[in-house]
Amino acid sequence: MLSFLGRSLIQKLVTLFFVSVVSFLVIKLAPGQPSQIDPLNPKFTPEIVERIRKVYHLDQPLHVQYLLYYKDLFTGKVVSWRDERPVLGKIWERFLNSLPLFIVGTLLTWTFSFPVGIRSAIHRDGWYDKSTTLISYFLISIPGFFFAYILIILVVTKLNVPVIDMQTFGVTSASPLVHFMDRLWHLVLPSVLGATGGIAVLSRYVRSQMLEIIGQDYVRTAKAKGLDEDRVYYRHALRNALLPFVTMFGMILPGLIGGSVIIESIFSWPGMGRLAYEAILGRDYPVILTINFISAVLVLAGTLVSDLLYMVVDPRIRLE
Amino acid sequence: MNIRRLLIFLPVLVTSVLLASYFWVPSYEAQTRGNPDRLVQFITASSGDAKYLNPILSSDSASSQINGMIFEGLIDRDENLNFRGRVAKDWRIYECAYFYVNDQATTQRWGKLDAAALARHLNQELVGKQPDWQHLKAVELLPPQSSTQSHTLGQGEEARAIEVRVDAPARIRLTLDKVDQLLFQRLQTLLGPNYFSTFDPTPLVHPSVELPSDQLQALARQMLPATVHNPIIEFQLRPGVRFHDGREVTAQDVLFTYNAIMNPKNISPRSPDYEPVQSVEVIDPLTVRIIYKRLYSPALESWGMGILPAHLLNDEALAVEAKAKGIPAEKFSLRQSDFNSRPIGCGPFVFQEWKSDRFIRLKRFDDYWEGAPNYKEYVMRIIPDPLTQEMELYAGTIDDYNVQPHQVARLKKDPRFQNFSGTSFGYHYIGYNERRPPFDDPRVRRALGMAIDVKKIIKYVMYGQGEEITGPFPKQTDYYDHKIPPLPYDPKGAVALLAEAGWKPGPDGYLQKDGKRFAFTLITNNGNPIRKAILAIAQDAWKKIGIQVETDLLEWSVFIEKRVNQLDFDALILGWSMGIDPDLYQIWHSSQTGKYQLNFVGFSNPEADDLIIKIRQEYDHAQQVRYCHQLHALIAEEQPYTFLFVNRWTALMDKRIVREVRAADGTIAYKPITPTKTGTYTFYFNQWVKLPQAPTFEQ
Repeated sequence: MLSFLGRSLIQKLVTLFFVSVVSFLVIKLAPGQPSQIDPLNPKFTPEIVERIRKVYHLDQPLHVQYLLYYKDLFTGKVVSWRDERPVLGKIWERFLNSLPLFIVGTLLTWTFSFPVGIRSAIHRDGWYDKSTTLISYFLISIPGFFFAYILIILVVTKLNVPVIDMQTFGVTSASPLVHFMDRLWHLVLPSVLGATGGIAVLSRYVRSQMLEIIGQDYVRTAKAKGLDEDRVYYRHALRNALLPFVTMFGMILPGLIGGSVIIESIFSWPGMGRLAYEAILGRDYPVILTINFISAVLVLAGTLVSDLLYMVVDPRIRLE
Repeated sequence: MNIRRLLIFLPVLVTSVLLASYFWVPSYEAQTRGNPDRLVQFITASSGDAKYLNPILSSDSASSQINGMIFEGLIDRDENLNFRGRVAKDWRIYECAYFYVNDQATTQRWGKLDAAALARHLNQELVGKQPDWQHLKAVELLPPQSSTQSHTLGQGEEARAIEVRVDAPARIRLTLDKVDQLLFQRLQTLLGPNYFSTFDPTPLVHPSVELPSDQLQALARQMLPATVHNPIIEFQLRPGVRFHDGREVTAQDVLFTYNAIMNPKNISPRSPDYEPVQSVEVIDPLTVRIIYKRLYSPALESWGMGILPAHLLNDEALAVEAKAKGIPAEKFSLRQSDFNSRPIGCGPFVFQEWKSDRFIRLKRFDDYWEGAPNYKEYVMRIIPDPLTQEMELYAGTIDDYNVQPHQVARLKKDPRFQNFSGTSFGYHYIGYNERRPPFDDPRVRRALGMAIDVKKIIKYVMYGQGEEITGPFPKQTDYYDHKIPPLPYDPKGAVALLAEAGWKPGPDGYLQKDGKRFAFTLITNNGNPIRKAILAIAQDAWKKIGIQVETDLLEWSVFIEKRVNQLDFDALILGWSMGIDPDLYQIWHSSQTGKYQLNFVGFSNPEADDLIIKIRQEYDHAQQVRYCHQLHALIAEEQPYTFLFVNRWTALMDKRIVREVRAADGTIAYKPITPTKTGTYTFYFNQWVKLPQAPTFEQ
């Protein structure tokens, strides 16, 4: 166990190093200049452009830039080119904004997918199964922004309440409960939208897993020996069907820093997605690289967590 | 069964908690009509967040909009685009001009004479005597002067400093009460046409190291130029203008703002505007004098820059902040200061609160010198999506909305809102690379333009929200000559013109000349649906007259870096957004045709070059307008671009917002808000009020 952890950690550090090099190269090799340099602004003389490049060390060779950046990152001194504010502080602020959206979205996805998928599997090819299949494909194929617009127009015109931003704008001096509920309400639409695709996909997955398990000999044996259906499906079958989902749980971690650009832009949500998107548009390299690095760390941590969880839930698996 | 129940119970629980929150959320009603504060609050929306709330560092539109509220410059443009004083009460533009006495030359009028006699003659016969020389106020003789100066040779890595001894001869100073770019031409009628050009400074300059003769000559010309214009602007500041913290705005603050812009540590994007400044002098606390190195009329505009408070940002203040943050003082500059996120200026609104990517809140400045604005609060909400902006406008939680072209026809009729339209500053064009034949032939460029039906593009691509444009100046300024007709849509004429240029239809239907087919590639950037549509329309229009056109859409930075900057294109579709000032040097002067420069089409015309220089050196508006009209006609004749159209903007606003004009006797009159030539409707913002009921105005 310990040797597994040790080896795994070393492997992941090596991977992380390569990820950092590759992501650095990809970003540097992509065309474009930091937004401070506007090539079509008549006022930008070559001297100014040169001075800006110097300040940001863009005149140095790539490996020097790489070292300078990672030195800044690990000493916590890396600042955004957009406004000279510390990148880690900016990311932390956006992370806190995106976190509730992520939690509620994940809750919705995971609580809905299971009952829907299991029922579809049990009543395979029945009207319920067919209609959920249809709805799932509908939800998967509908463009997120379009669905969002429809929901916003419906809610705003029919219910006459605000939906954008993290809380209602301009209403102050409310009690803590109203404040909390207000924030909760503003989570509803974006997280529902964020979860629809997830529910559609995950419930399909649950269904196919259940179907596979239900077809197994031991389920037939359980049924044959007279156990009631609920006990067969929800105890014997479900426990075995759950195995692959345990690994998926580890893969949720990177989502913490992802955030959705489209949902956040439509709902004016000041989250991670918008930060990253604007950083890419403005070629704000420190922000892009930091987010990239953190998500790489989270992906690697996620795989480690999945491995460990797998070991816990399935005693047959031994990690060597 | 427990697990089954749990699986059903959990989603129900999550859903009900989420939906229950609906009963607590304040309705739009509570935000708008039910909220008395809403009447004294102006809320606007912006699609992007501000970056720096500091006018010398910002260059994006959201920051500029907020900075315009918090900061105030010395001057700005009034509704007719003329300059008016803000922090400056008044200003005066005059000039000192210098020339070295040329001992070798014989003057045309007085023969050969020494410096003292020349000064005496000029003084006696010109000052206050002749009508042509009304503006000449004084002539003085400055004695010869020897000095040692250090000078940097070469650039970048190879730069080295040398000492140079300069034996300057006697010099004559002319003081004029207005700037006259033709001064030395006029003097040549008295002194002889070669008086200035034969002045040879080379023997007067002695560098410490041996230099090749051409280098020495260039150095001497630079150190002892035969003639020099020093335009001077003297600003008289308005007494009693205060920063939001109560300190009075003085000439020291103006000087500080200038120094902050020029400080290389601050890498201010504004510094090129101030490069022609020779020095800024504080005469007294309310007078500041700016002396320029050379004639440069766009200079005045640059003093619209918001004035920074010196006492909060000077070296001592920054050192204190650096120490508090634990950063070594020499690494800390204005760029890192917290001032940029909680600024203090002397404009009509005081900074309150900034929540990144959510909103910026300002409150009115009660001690504003022109009287406090009517609105108590100004809020900019950051709402990236136009549809949600529109929904918020309907709900009344924002007050204005910039309408997309396709929505204009529908929303202009909406009785709930007032609407404004105007012409934007900028235009779309097709540019031809004149280095590559056949685009070097103006007849070909003209024919290509005539084949495109711009009216149809405006009608169908822009939904009518555009106007034809014929030249490079903003359409609503005097510099634009409305008498110049747009190119007619005339494909037959285009074919005839091309035939005249030697392009005749070949056996395959395509035009050809000397056995070569007329074929080229038209490119533009990806992500702009309007340019993409023009791309297809132009391709089709040109195909109809027998030209084979390939098209290509490129990602913006590839487009700029690999094609435009490298001058590697045949023809491209782009747009310019412009300021009011008519200086066209960077975009049209023949010296700007290199790689990474903005005259990428390679337009080069000596007559145009001369006019461009004259325009940027002319300080008299009427004369400048005459030059501009000449240049406009010349460019329209040459057709280096096919000028397409300029956008029209439209905005919607709450109908209850009006202008409240207070007369001198205290009576209040309400006036409707109208757009101004400045390209906005917010010109009189400080007078705006929101009434509980929409008023009706007589038509």
